Formats: sequence, C-alpha cells, structure tokens
Amino acid sequence: MTTLEAPTKPLSLTKFQAGDFKSDLKPIWCPGCGDFGVVTAITRALANLGRPPHEIAFVSGIGCSSRIPGYTTAYGFNTVHGRSLPIAQGIKLANPELLVLVASGDGDGFSIGGGHVAHVIRRNIDITYIVMDNQIYGLTKGQLSPTSSRGRKTVTSSFGSLEEPVNPLLYVMGYGANYVAQGTPADMVGLGKIIEEGIRYPGFAFINVQSPCVTYGMEDQQLKAHKTNMQSLEALGHDTSDRAKATELAREYGTKLYTGVLYRNPNPPATYGQGVTERQEALKKTAVPRHEILNRFKPSN
Amino acid sequence: MSEDLIIGIAGSGGDGVISAGESLITAAALEGYHGVMTKSFGSQIRGGEASCRLRLATQPVLNPNGPLDVAVALNWDDFRRFGAELPVEAATIVIYESNTGVAPDKLPLQGVKPAVVFSVPITAMAAEHAGTDKAKNIVIAGLLAGWFGIGRESMLAGIRKKFAKKGATVVEGNVRAFQAGLDFTTANPLPEDRKLSAAHTGGTAKLLTDGNDMCAAAAIFAGCTFFGGYPITPSTEIMQFLDREIWKYGGTVLQAEDEIAGVGAVVGASFAGKKAMTATSGPGMSLKTEILGLASLAELPLVCVNVQRGGPSTGMPTKAEQSDLFQAAFSAHGDCLRPVLAPTSVADIFGVTVEAFNLAEYYQTPVIVLSDQEIAQRKETVDPIDTTKFQIIERRRPSGPELVNYARFKFTESGISPISHPGMVGGNYLAAGIEHNEQGRPTASGELHARMNEKRFNKFNPLKNRRDLFTIEGDPDAPIGMVSWGSVAGVAREALRLAQAEGLQVKLLVPQLLYPVAEQVYQDFFASVQRGLFVEQSYQAQLYRIVRMNVDLPAAVKPFAKSGSNPILATEVLKLLREMVVAIQSNSQSQPEAVQD
Repeated sequence: MTTLEAPTKPLSLTKFQAGDFKSDLKPIWCPGCGDFGVVTAITRALANLGRPPHEIAFVSGIGCSSRIPGYTTAYGFNTVHGRSLPIAQGIKLANPELLVLVASGDGDGFSIGGGHVAHVIRRNIDITYIVMDNQIYGLTKGQLSPTSSRGRKTVTSSFGSLEEPVNPLLYVMGYGANYVAQGTPADMVGLGKIIEEGIRYPGFAFINVQSPCVTYGMEDQQLKAHKTNMQSLEALGHDTSDRAKATELAREYGTKLYTGVLYRNPNPPATYGQGVTERQEALKKTAVPRHEILNRFKPSN
Repeated sequence: MSEDLIIGIAGSGGDGVISAGESLITAAALEGYHGVMTKSFGSQIRGGEASCRLRLATQPVLNPNGPLDVAVALNWDDFRRFGAELPVEAATIVIYESNTGVAPDKLPLQGVKPAVVFSVPITAMAAEHAGTDKAKNIVIAGLLAGWFGIGRESMLAGIRKKFAKKGATVVEGNVRAFQAGLDFTTANPLPEDRKLSAAHTGGTAKLLTDGNDMCAAAAIFAGCTFFGGYPITPSTEIMQFLDREIWKYGGTVLQAEDEIAGVGAVVGASFAGKKAMTATSGPGMSLKTEILGLASLAELPLVCVNVQRGGPSTGMPTKAEQSDLFQAAFSAHGDCLRPVLAPTSVADIFGVTVEAFNLAEYYQTPVIVLSDQEIAQRKETVDPIDTTKFQIIERRRPSGPELVNYARFKFTESGISPISHPGMVGGNYLAAGIEHNEQGRPTASGELHARMNEKRFNKFNPLKNRRDLFTIEGDPDAPIGMVSWGSVAGVAREALRLAQAEGLQVKLLVPQLLYPVAEQVYQDFFASVQRGLFVEQSYQAQLYRIVRMNVDLPAAVKPFAKSGSNPILATEVLKLLREMVVAIQSNSQSQPEAVQD
C-alpha cells in the first residue's frame, strides 16, 4: 500500500503581491458590488501573510459572495448552499497545514447554513469565516434575507417583513467565538487588516463584512452611506479583550456600523486541530499494521 | 448427530439472554463451528424484552432464519412478544424457567405442542451456586453446553477470565453455576442425535464479529483516514469502531452536528486528498443526498455506507429491509451515476468495503455501500481473511508534466482526469458544484455540459464488465435462475442448497455490484433460463425493477419480495422453486406465485 505524497514545498519566503492571488476569471458581480472590495482586501491580506496560493483552500457555498474562491488563485471549492463550514472543517482536519478560508453571505451563512455556525465555534477549528452581509438575496434577485430589517419590503415580503433580523455579531459572540470583527469595503485598509488578523488568529475567526448590494440594497446600506456612518472601534478606544463590552456593541448591529475588531480573546484556547494532533501522536504507537486489523476479531471467551 | 442447530433465547433485559448467546457463539467460533447470532429487542432503551437467535452448524451458515431447534424462555410473556422471530414447532426442544409456574404440558404457545420440554429452575440454580440470580446466563450456557456438546472447556475458561477481577469466590460461584447447568443435562439427558457434530474444520478458530465492525475495519485496511457522521441506528457502530481505531493511523472521526455536515466534512477531507467515509441509515441518507451530488459533479471520491432499515421516514429502525436501492441509485437531481455495492454477509462486507474505496478512488466518485440491519448487527463466524489478496487503489494524481497548465477535469480516453489536492504545487483549481470546463472554470455552455456528462458517465463503462463482482452458483445451464442480494442472498443460497439436494436444476446470481446494472451479466445469466425469481426484502422488489429497466428479462422472471422484518425462509423459496420445476415440466403457462409483480 502506498500513499502518494503531494510535491509540496516548504512555507515559501517569497514576497507576494495581491495580484498573485487574483485569478483571471472575470467576476459576475454587478458593477459597484461591495464584493469587489472584499476580494481585493482578501488578496492583499494573503499577500501580507506570505503563504503561497497552493497552500490555501478557499471554500464557499452559494450566493454572489460565494463566487469569490474562483476569483483567487488558491485551491477553491465552491460547494452547495449553506454547507461551506462543514466542508471547510473536513479540509482543515484532513490537512491541518492548510490555510482554510470560508466565504459566505447572510443567506448562505445565517439562514440555510446558520445551523453550522454554532458548531464550528464550539469546536474552535482554525478557519477564517468571512460573511458578506448585504441584507438581501442578490443572486436570486432581491428576496428577503435573514439580516433584512423588520418591515422591509422585498419581492418575497411585498407588504413588509414580519420577522426580526438575525444579528450575526451577537450570534457568534453568544456561541463564544474568540475573534469577531466587522468591516466594510468603504474602509479598505481596515478591512484588509481585520481579515489578515483573523487569518493569523489561532482558532476560529469570524469577520462580518457589510458588503452592499448595489442592485437590490437599500440606499442607506451603500458604501457612500457607510463612509458617513461607520465608526472605527479603535478610534472609539474599544478594548478588544472585553467580551462583555463587545457583546454590548454587537447588540447595536443594524443601528450602528462599527468597524474593526469587536472581540479578540487575548488567551486563545486550544484549537480542535491541536487536540486531534495530540491524540494521533499519543495513539500512533498502539496501531497494529493495517493488514492485521482483523486480528481485533479473534474470539476470546 | 445434528449438523445445524438453531437456538432462540428470550427474557427480560437483565436476564443475561444476550450474554448467554455471546458466550455460546464465541465458544463455537473457537471450536471452529460456523455460526450466526442475531439479537432483537423491544423498543425500550433499557430493560424490556430481549432475545437472541443462534444458528450453529458444521457447514457455513447462510442465514439465521428457520424454526427453532431449541427454545429457551426465561419468561413466557417476553418470549411470546417475539412472535415469528422465534418460531416454535413440535420438534423444538423447549427449555424454560420453572418459576414461571407453567406446567410442561401447558406451554402458552398457540397451536404447538413441543414433544421435548424441560422445566429448569434456572434462577434458583444461579442463586444457589453463584449466590446471585445474575448468574442465570451462566446456568443457561451450562445447560446448552451440556445438551448440545458445545464449548464446555472454552466457556469455563471464559468464566474464569471474565470474573477474575472479582476474586476467587465469584469465579468459583460462576463455575459451580455452569457445572450445575451441565449436571442438570446429565440427569435429564437428550438423545445423542440432538447433539451438534464436531466441527468439520477440525477446530480451527474463526473470527467473530458483526457487519458494522467488519465494515469499519475494512475502511481502516483500505486506508481511510477520515470519517464524518452522525449517530443513527443501525449504523452507529461503524463510527464507534473507527473512533476507537482511526486516530492510531493519523486519522480523524468527526461526529458532526447533523447528517449533512457529516458527509460535508467527508467531501472536504476527500478534496484535501484523504480517503474518507461516512455511514448512515435511511433518513440520514435522504439528508446526505445533495452533498453526494456535489461529490459526483466535482468528481471527488468518498464511500457512503447506508445500513438499510425499514422505511420510509423513521420506518422500522431496528429491522432489516432492502428498500433503499432506488434511493441509492437515483436520489440525485440531474443526470448522475454512482456505483452501488451490497455485501451478502459479515465476511463479505470486508471485501465490498475495500472495493468501494477502490472504486471511489479509481473513478473519483461517491460509492454507496448498501449494508442492512441484519448484516450490520448480527454476529457471525468468519473464516480468516487473507488480506494480502486485496489490492488497494489510490486516486490517480497528476504527474509533474500534467501539472503544467493543469486541467483538473481534462477530457481523457478513460474519462478519468488526474486529481490534485491542496498543497500540491501547480495543482490549484476550482472545485465546484457548478458545471465547469476542463480547467474547472464555471460554464453555462450546453455543449460543455453535454461533454462533461458524457465523461462522467462513460468513465464507469468498464465497471459493468466487472464479472468478479458477481457470483453464479449452481448448475450453469439450469432452466431456473434466481437472483438475490444483500443479507437475503444467504436465504437464496440456502434454498439453492436445498434444491440441489432434491436434484432440482437451479442457479443463483448474487451481485455485489447493484448499480450501474451490468446488462451483459444479467443477459448471459438469463439466456438459458425459462423461469426466474428475484428474492428480495422490500415491498417493491427494487433490484428486479432496476434490472428490468435495463435488461429485457424473460417474461417468466418474477419477484418474490416481502417487506422488512418478515423473514424470508429458505423453505418458502424452495417451495417456489419446486413449483417452477413443475410448471416447466408440464409446460404450463402458470406462473410461480409472487407476492408482488
């Protein structure tokens, strides 16, 4: 039995440019879509990190934002609606050496796939989850999303939404995420920074990006409005290690647009992957050769 | 002497019914007998009624069914709850607990008067000799060892080992309880001809396990290093076994938050280059469907074991059925083909699982293994398996030159394109559920979609010629042909054995590969056949219908199918075979009786 090992090279020391991570595939997004800014911020962050594209797995689900992996030179996996997180976790557990990124949207991440968020957080698997939150279903042309505000009229809420929106920031704070940040393409420097920091953070990192839909989004949710409304948490003097304060600020989702790191656990707990590696190491010596596994079934009374 | 012995034991949970059965089959395995043991419980999580059936024989046991040669009842209410699972006939030797207060000539069995009945104070003997009525199972083991000549020494050794930690007093108490069982049989002997003959294999020990554990062990052997799944009866023991073992081989078990996440993680691990598996049962299989489609389109290898139970919906979670074949073959949106394999026994699931990994890796596809509750949870003696005979296939990875301008979904003659994985320099590509061109780029071109479909279907063409995935038994030119699969194939094999003993000309085709349908194999098989019978445990006779979709079967090929949990007996099948012989001989047009058409 042979296992073919991939011809990998050690962590490259080459200096990368953002352009090294951009593929030549032309995005399908509408001109002016916030997601253009997000892919640029991601590629800039990756260039700063210095990991070559072949060591990166970039996973997504379905939606406008989920097209992102194809616009990068990383190994991409554009999966099915709402399941990017389980698939990304499988990748990371199968090869902990990889840098694993997940791109999602408010519908993909907090409606059809919302059930997976709690579990990736409690496992603390070392992946970075970037949700492009535009409060609307853009790909299917303008239906109500889980983060649409109450009363909002869309083609599936002709008389106004009757439900409260999900609060993504509070949601992940509630399940104990250790790195939670929010950004907007209206502040490209800040966005690149929180993405880079999120990737560097040892453990699960959540980044909510207010990425406007130019076609179906509300006027007060466009980049122009962001530029006026956004408040930098750093400028506000927010202490990113203060979980209680971060939770309080998270409650203001929908009314305030805070940018920057909301919460960063200064003492990152062990990741799931570390536990896996330790267990594998500890048990390795007890393995019988694979072809002798059936000896387990020798009867003894 | 007897060559084949079926024992049924029933009582309340806590009576030691299962542990008595287990000591007996372990002893039988050590002495080289063939055996199968099935367990059945009431729906309670703990307590309630429990029963086991043991079939021990000097030749391979093909299925656990048939009327009991020996019935052991610890109380009659519990025994009777199992109904048709523990059929008592006039020839059945009945052993029952005296404190039930039932007179030997007034057994509460409707319409049957067994000739040989022993009322035994099992509880009292346990209390007297071991000082606790918990030793009832030991007394039962002693009774059965004494009357049927099985496992006396090995069971004694087992008792000594099992109770060693509890001290000499407990050990000796249990040894005395066992001896009391033996002594009772000496004082109340059975005719010698009721004893089981010595094992033909000259006492060569066999392996003893169930289908779920064997499946999991095969996965380890095949090089599986990732399992993602969600607990569901009757498949969970696969995850449990792997959780005990896989870490030792650098692998991981992820108990996911749901069935979808379980198979999702498996697809992810496969994308990352690892051999990966999930296991589930009916409802879980329904949930996994979308991700299996993703694996088909993205051409990612994975093995998905579906331990079939009665359905639809929650159905009959603890009973075997063969009603998920349509689902395995067809539950995908879009044009999609994925191989479906089925094992016929605990021994067979080893090879089938290894084959499933090989097919998955070779064809870059999800492969479904259709096990069933009976195979999954029955304990079976298995002749030692020579693992060196099994080849292990790895996915075709791109060579250096192929990584220059790498095209993940390159059109090749075989339809199989070299597959890279993250970490491989130059292998970067976009895997997707969206249709793509050779480079993996999304496309909406109808022409490309048609070509990719053709590639994804044609790559499986060689699979249909894998005659080694089929066995044909019996007389090759027989005018009567049976087809059967999964655990029920054991019943058909026994029916064939009985038919041949009567001089009937019959043959039997047992496929491990259910889908895609190997048209030529079936055409060849039915070429000489005037009458045919598909024997299956489902209401719809699903294999019969799938084969008929693909092959022009002779009109006189019919299904004999029953819904799950209604044992199909070899004797019933034999009766149909006899009728078919008569029909051929009289050249009559009468068809064999079929439950379903």
